[in-house]
Amino acid sequence: MSLPDRIDPRPPRRIYRWDLDKTYLQTDFDSLRDLLRTAFQKAHEKVAVPGASALIRELSESGDSRLCIVSGSPKQMRAVLEEKLKLDGVRWDEFVLKDNVGNLLRGRFRALRGQVGYKLPAILESRVKAPAEAEEVLFGDDAEADAFIYSLFADLIAGRVDERVLSQVLEAGGVYPDDAERVRAAWKQIPVADPVRRIFIHLDKLTPPAHFTPYGPRVVPIFNYFQAALVLLADGHLSAPQVLKIAVEMVQTAGHNIITLSNSFQDLLRRGLPLQQAAVALSQALEGPNKLLAAMRPMPDILSAFSKRLAALGTPPPPPPVQAVDYVSLIHHALPRNHKGRTRPSPGG
Amino acid sequence: MEAMVVKQPQPVTIAFDVMGTDHGPAEVVRGAAQLSLDSPHIHALLVGDRTLIDNALAETKHNGERISVQHASDFVGMDEKPGEALARKPNASVAVAARLVAEGEAQALVSAGNTGAGVLACARHFQLIPGVRRAALATVYPTRSVRGAKEDPFSLILDVGATVEATADDLVTFAVMGSNYARIISRNERPKVALLSNGVEPQKGPPRVVEAHARLSEMKDIHFIGNVEGIDIPKGTADVIVTDGFVGNVCLKMLEGVHETVVELAQYAYKESLRWRAGLAMLSSGIQRIKDITDWNQYGGAPILGFDRIFIKAHGRSKAHAIANAGKVAAKVVANNLGNAIREGLQK
Repeated sequence: MSLPDRIDPRPPRRIYRWDLDKTYLQTDFDSLRDLLRTAFQKAHEKVAVPGASALIRELSESGDSRLCIVSGSPKQMRAVLEEKLKLDGVRWDEFVLKDNVGNLLRGRFRALRGQVGYKLPAILESRVKAPAEAEEVLFGDDAEADAFIYSLFADLIAGRVDERVLSQVLEAGGVYPDDAERVRAAWKQIPVADPVRRIFIHLDKLTPPAHFTPYGPRVVPIFNYFQAALVLLADGHLSAPQVLKIAVEMVQTAGHNIITLSNSFQDLLRRGLPLQQAAVALSQALEGPNKLLAAMRPMPDILSAFSKRLAALGTPPPPPPVQAVDYVSLIHHALPRNHKGRTRPSPGG
Repeated sequence: MEAMVVKQPQPVTIAFDVMGTDHGPAEVVRGAAQLSLDSPHIHALLVGDRTLIDNALAETKHNGERISVQHASDFVGMDEKPGEALARKPNASVAVAARLVAEGEAQALVSAGNTGAGVLACARHFQLIPGVRRAALATVYPTRSVRGAKEDPFSLILDVGATVEATADDLVTFAVMGSNYARIISRNERPKVALLSNGVEPQKGPPRVVEAHARLSEMKDIHFIGNVEGIDIPKGTADVIVTDGFVGNVCLKMLEGVHETVVELAQYAYKESLRWRAGLAMLSSGIQRIKDITDWNQYGGAPILGFDRIFIKAHGRSKAHAIANAGKVAAKVVANNLGNAIREGLQK
């Protein structure tokens, strides 16, 4: 028997798309000082959001997933960002950074802060190369336009947004014609499918969750990555022991405790996410003989905290209804914070 | 050189009775939400109608890691008789919250609802500290002078309604409890404690006040300054004023009435003539200062003292800021183990 001379990687069954700043990294760039500090930070000085690296590592365990990072950080930071990811044990398949110097040299000032014209073509072009059946989960934050862009991406490839709406959005979003053309070109190459399962929005700025209601239940605002892990357990992307490993890391490295974890769990239940089965799976995993779980002792306290938070709620409410997203009226969500249209009331609203 | 160790405060969970306030549940939820942003060690357990709480939370900036909800299907309204209401409504939010505190799910209770129902719920679920015969309802009152490391511009009056007829024993107990509370909350190491009477002389007042005076004079751990009269309350002569619930309540209502009358007179003056309006305008910064000092929203709430668990009663008209402050006061009392301090104080 002869060995094959080439082993092709399995086609990805799942694609996880991540933003970096405020989603994976704890980054401040609200002032010029913050911006400069961030620019000159070394890799080991950068701090990941608690649980983020553990979550990524657990998601890659299955071996048939891809990690695609699209960040608004400038290309000049590639080396330091890659070093940080390596320090955290994170391996990626795609890593796209923004060409801010190029934009500056070409006088494309809108592109410096605009997100739609940068991220939307980048993730659509990435999707072109993906198998049609590959599911997607996207991770962003509440600092910029991630909920808007990711939802639009999902609905574009699912055929729920037409050319007219796309044109209106691109125009209102201040997208340059060449970027708009990239969006259309990539979109046309993607076979119609409905692969986006979840869009997680890390609430770095603690934006009230109701802000994301217009995007429907696919978008899940999260206060921490234990919450994302719980939803991914319910969605079948993670096992209960994997979720517990993420929780352990958050407890051991980021000061989380039984109260914060159980409150986070109850928060999702109250928002109508169907996590009852996930709770059962977690309880069973905690009772298992896994050595790692010894770190989570005393287990009875954890189980008791989780079940009390669950019982405290009485009858669960129905999950939020699926709804169509009105991108034209939500475009102000996607405009840079200092844009005058950002605070303008939405049409008809 | 030794590295400086910054001691992190221990996590504490405060149960908030969300229902039955003048401004509705959203205001209490907003207060707890504010607390979840400001005070990382304080967790809020919101007790009340789940749907109302969730709706308010969804619209409010908060940290979901520090907030949980306990559904309670009923609540006691402001105008209901506490005993009857609690008998009819065993799942009233204040009763559920008190039970959760008694069971250790939270370490203190904050309520801006019906005061009587709050006191009764605590009496049913909490234990009195050994040596305490009757609990005391305290209140804070703005004064001319400031006190303690925090320069708090208010004094503590107790009791203002929980124990209508207090014995000499009760008055001494109130003095110990009030002194320890002021020490913790105002960071006032030796709060001045006084008995309210109809004259400053030791023999003035009914026999129970005279007896309490004699006993307090001999207690070395209490900085007892003797009797004070009603006029001394707004002056801030004492940091802690001890009286029984009947006199305390009459006194408190009168002080509130005077405050309201002054405000009404100022409003009248403002409308009456341009000259008076100009005068008020010239005094505006001073008036604002008085307004800031007398704004009970700054103080959060006042405690029910004597139980083994903490109950902070916030004003029924409390807005989010006052609720958040009440939560901070409750957490501070828990962190400083007021129950132990009172227990030890009574043993001396």
